[in-house]
Amino acid sequence: MAVAELTSAELSNAAGASAPRRRRARAAGAKIGGGLAILIPIVLLSSFITYSLGALSNSDPAATILGQDAATPAAVAHLDRVLGLDKPLVVQYWDWLTQAVQGHLGVSYFTQIPVSQSIAQRLPVDLSIAILAVILAVLIGGTAGTLAAVKRGSWFDRGVTIACSAVSTLPAFVVGIILVVVFAVAAHLLPANGYTAPSAGIGQWLEHIILPSLALAFQVAADITRQLRTSLVSVLEQNYIVGARVRGLPYRRILIRHALRNAAGPALTILGNSFPIMLAGAVAAEVVFSLPGLGQLVLEAAQTRDIPVVQGVLLVVATFVVVVNLVVNSLLALLYRSSDGVSA
Amino acid sequence: MNRRSPLTGPGSVLRLPSARIAVIVVVVVVVFLSVFGSALAPQDPLAINANALFQGPGLHHLLGTDYLGRDVLSRLMAGTRMSVLTAFEAVGIGLILGVPLGIATVFLGKWFDFAANRVSDALMTLPYVFFAVAVTAVLGNGLIQAMSAVGILLVPLFFRLTRAATLEFARAQYVEAAELLGASKLHVIRVHVVRKVLPTIAVTTAMMAAYALLSVSFFTFLGIGVTPPAPTWGGVLSSDVDYLSQAPWAPFIPGALIAITVGALNALADAFRDRVGPGTLPVAAQILAQVSKTHSTLEAADVRQSAA
Repeated sequence: MAVAELTSAELSNAAGASAPRRRRARAAGAKIGGGLAILIPIVLLSSFITYSLGALSNSDPAATILGQDAATPAAVAHLDRVLGLDKPLVVQYWDWLTQAVQGHLGVSYFTQIPVSQSIAQRLPVDLSIAILAVILAVLIGGTAGTLAAVKRGSWFDRGVTIACSAVSTLPAFVVGIILVVVFAVAAHLLPANGYTAPSAGIGQWLEHIILPSLALAFQVAADITRQLRTSLVSVLEQNYIVGARVRGLPYRRILIRHALRNAAGPALTILGNSFPIMLAGAVAAEVVFSLPGLGQLVLEAAQTRDIPVVQGVLLVVATFVVVVNLVVNSLLALLYRSSDGVSA
Repeated sequence: MNRRSPLTGPGSVLRLPSARIAVIVVVVVVVFLSVFGSALAPQDPLAINANALFQGPGLHHLLGTDYLGRDVLSRLMAGTRMSVLTAFEAVGIGLILGVPLGIATVFLGKWFDFAANRVSDALMTLPYVFFAVAVTAVLGNGLIQAMSAVGILLVPLFFRLTRAATLEFARAQYVEAAELLGASKLHVIRVHVVRKVLPTIAVTTAMMAAYALLSVSFFTFLGIGVTPPAPTWGGVLSSDVDYLSQAPWAPFIPGALIAITVGALNALADAFRDRVGPGTLPVAAQILAQVSKTHSTLEAADVRQSAA
């Protein structure tokens, strides 16, 4: 079956190169469809957990908002009715969710600022850090992993292995502090804290996010290095690599077109799964580098028990994680026909 | 397939017995400090001394002093108990809820299995920092509350691992044979499943302990669940960060402590996996690979590393 498919694919490849692509697209489509079928219940369930967490708290939002003096039973009951807190939990959840789908996540109990507005304000900070961190992780991990695999057994390979072990015990916030000490306090090369939007100047923006991103990137880079090295070493021993060398193809071309393309799957999976880690790490980076991100928002909200803010942030982040996972898995399916070859 | 991790692989550092001993010593010392740390602390961890701010490591203060002149060594020693206890709390919740559920779901039929899996999927989408912060917002600001949230998020991990391992063993021929011989379900679970699953769970527990300890220090660093001036590992670190220009070396002490402890626990997990032997290793690797395929919000890096 597989053989027949392969030969027919090759035949049509000679004809017009469209069939395999179509089949890949179909596989990716199935992956997206299946992913969505699983995704929607998961998002519903996790949003319900998120909502009921806030609703089940023994804090009395109406009393909190009104303050001690104004919180007469009548006033509390009135405000409860206005906020919809007198309805059953499931009804409240449904109201909240239908509003949330339209982009309304409620209003902060204390500042009266719409939650979606504060999230929209702060999300770019974390996204800039996380995206730059992913890019850095790919650059560092990809280079180190490839070189280590090509020169396996050399001092470089051994050094990379030791460095990876060391980095994997260091949490992102400790790495961040080390970076601040080295680059900001000792060398005065980069600012130690703060954030400027990219609209204020790309250079300044990069200057502020490069250290936090680097702090986040290290651990994922170490994972990518290890994974890539392992799979690349095994791919480089395959017969088709030997065959390509016998045919006299340049080594660089073999490495990139033949080996890396096949070896990158597991490392890419790591990259996709590491996005949630990046987000958690971004919270750490926010604290170390005093950046105004989602983590700060949720930490402040938790201290004042500003439940709508906490619920909103949790919902947005959880949905983000699920969607990113779906996108990554679909892309992998597109790249590798079936993800079975990827998840080895 | 069963590539060993660089920490314990052939020709690496941890193959040497002395390195293994060092790992065990670190773990024992941390556990010891969690019991006797406050009693043995050389100085009062809360005593402020305005004449000895930002002192480097010296005879009088072995690890120096912080921005209030408090003895860093004493603060770290006194802070050990809370870190270790709450890490145990989180792992305990994950273990006690996740493992029985994972075994039960294999034997309780499809619907239960389906429901439990979807709930665990949903829990895995929740990023642990945000979830823990939300829980402290609801239940009150405390380390115990925050780490109970981490414990809840560890449940799906333990659940999945146990379920996958149980599935593996429940389909074995000797289980079929035992059933044909008239063994009860409970007997099969107790003798043929639980005993086989235990090594996998032990390795996972060690890994999760490292992870939980990391979370504790991360939370205390963020200020979640901490009431100043109570000493915590992460708290010492975060106060050091505020005064980097005065004492740039200071964060390295608590940072190293956290890194060494977490590294030791990870190495312990690796060593245990090696000890458990190659027979169970492929199984564990498959299971861990399965976990890493899901929407894990946990730091699945270590899990994945062993799956590779």
